[in-house]
Amino acid sequence: MKTFIKFTAVIATTLLFSVSLYAHHSAAQFDFGNNVLVEGKVMEVRFANPHLRLILEVTDDARGTRDIEFEGHSRNNMRRQGLMPDMFIEGDTVTIRIAPMRNGEDGGYVTALRIPSGEEIGRVSGAD
Amino acid sequence: MPKTKSLIRFGAHIVILSASLFGTLLSSIATAAERPDFTGAWTTYRGNPGAAGGPSRFMGAELKLTPQAEKARQDFISITEGTNHGAGNSCVGGGMPGSMLGSGGYPMEIIQRPEQVFVIYEAHTEIRRFYIDDEAEDPDSFFPERNGYSTAHWEGDRLIVETTRLKTQVDSRYPHSNQASIREEYYIDEPLADGTRVLAADLIMTDPLWLEEPLVTTKRWQALSDYHVLTYECSEPIWLDEMEALYEEAGLEMVQE
Repeated sequence: MKTFIKFTAVIATTLLFSVSLYAHHSAAQFDFGNNVLVEGKVMEVRFANPHLRLILEVTDDARGTRDIEFEGHSRNNMRRQGLMPDMFIEGDTVTIRIAPMRNGEDGGYVTALRIPSGEEIGRVSGAD
Repeated sequence: MPKTKSLIRFGAHIVILSASLFGTLLSSIATAAERPDFTGAWTTYRGNPGAAGGPSRFMGAELKLTPQAEKARQDFISITEGTNHGAGNSCVGGGMPGSMLGSGGYPMEIIQRPEQVFVIYEAHTEIRRFYIDDEAEDPDSFFPERNGYSTAHWEGDRLIVETTRLKTQVDSRYPHSNQASIREEYYIDEPLADGTRVLAADLIMTDPLWLEEPLVTTKRWQALSDYHVLTYECSEPIWLDEMEALYEEAGLEMVQE
């Protein structure tokens, strides 16, 4: 696993500034200058092209408990970022870093996964 | 005596013909030797800043569109801006020139044969074929496609590719009508400081209906070594959702993943 993370970190660095140039749709709704952490229970995950679909059950004081859908890179580029489906098992609690919605609504674009050691996997700087 | 003269003349012709054939042979060997092999995986060029070309320079607005094209473009923007609607999101590839100018973030792979060059853009697994010399057929005998039909020939160490039979595309970063034609000139450029190979292509897109001025740009890539270009399955989830709905409606359990 460590080797894979190291390998993908190199590839991710190589691709860091280029993947954002191939957006499948306008990504203007995501605020990539304002990355925030979100913790939640994995309800559904689909590693797919053109985009990751991740639904987390999230609870906070402001809005209570609800399911929130997040978008992310294509599965090809998720892999290159070191992010794999077995890191998002349904029922597990995960912490993700996201570029939130500019309009303040729930949702956002997954930019990294924070693992229990505190390390973050993924360095997404824009939509692919 | 006249017989001898004829023999001498015939012999001279043979010598001239042989020399000419030998010269042509030598010249074609030399020309073939000049031809670079573009085979391999390529990603976005990261040498001199600003020299990579591609979408960082053109965001549609910099194209000199005719009023007809501008209207079509604005109509499209008005129904898609701020939404998730887009060709890529519907698993449709960019088409030319977007497929070529946008490649690199998702790598591009080239497989070169003497008679044909295959270009595979990882995103949406868009495949272009450059039919070289006699391998090419009349473009008008093929259906128009988003990537058109490409014929090619070598000029020294440069591969010249002419693409026509394009479809009208308003959903592209580089909108164009079906009258557009694209000329690309591929060549090996100066390597990076560490010796990494660099591939470049000068591109000119002309369009009598939609472009006031041709789109002129140069795109560069750098070689990737020990690298896997991946497949890009995109439409399967749409089918899986459809299947799931059918199973649910029938009260059956879907076992396919």
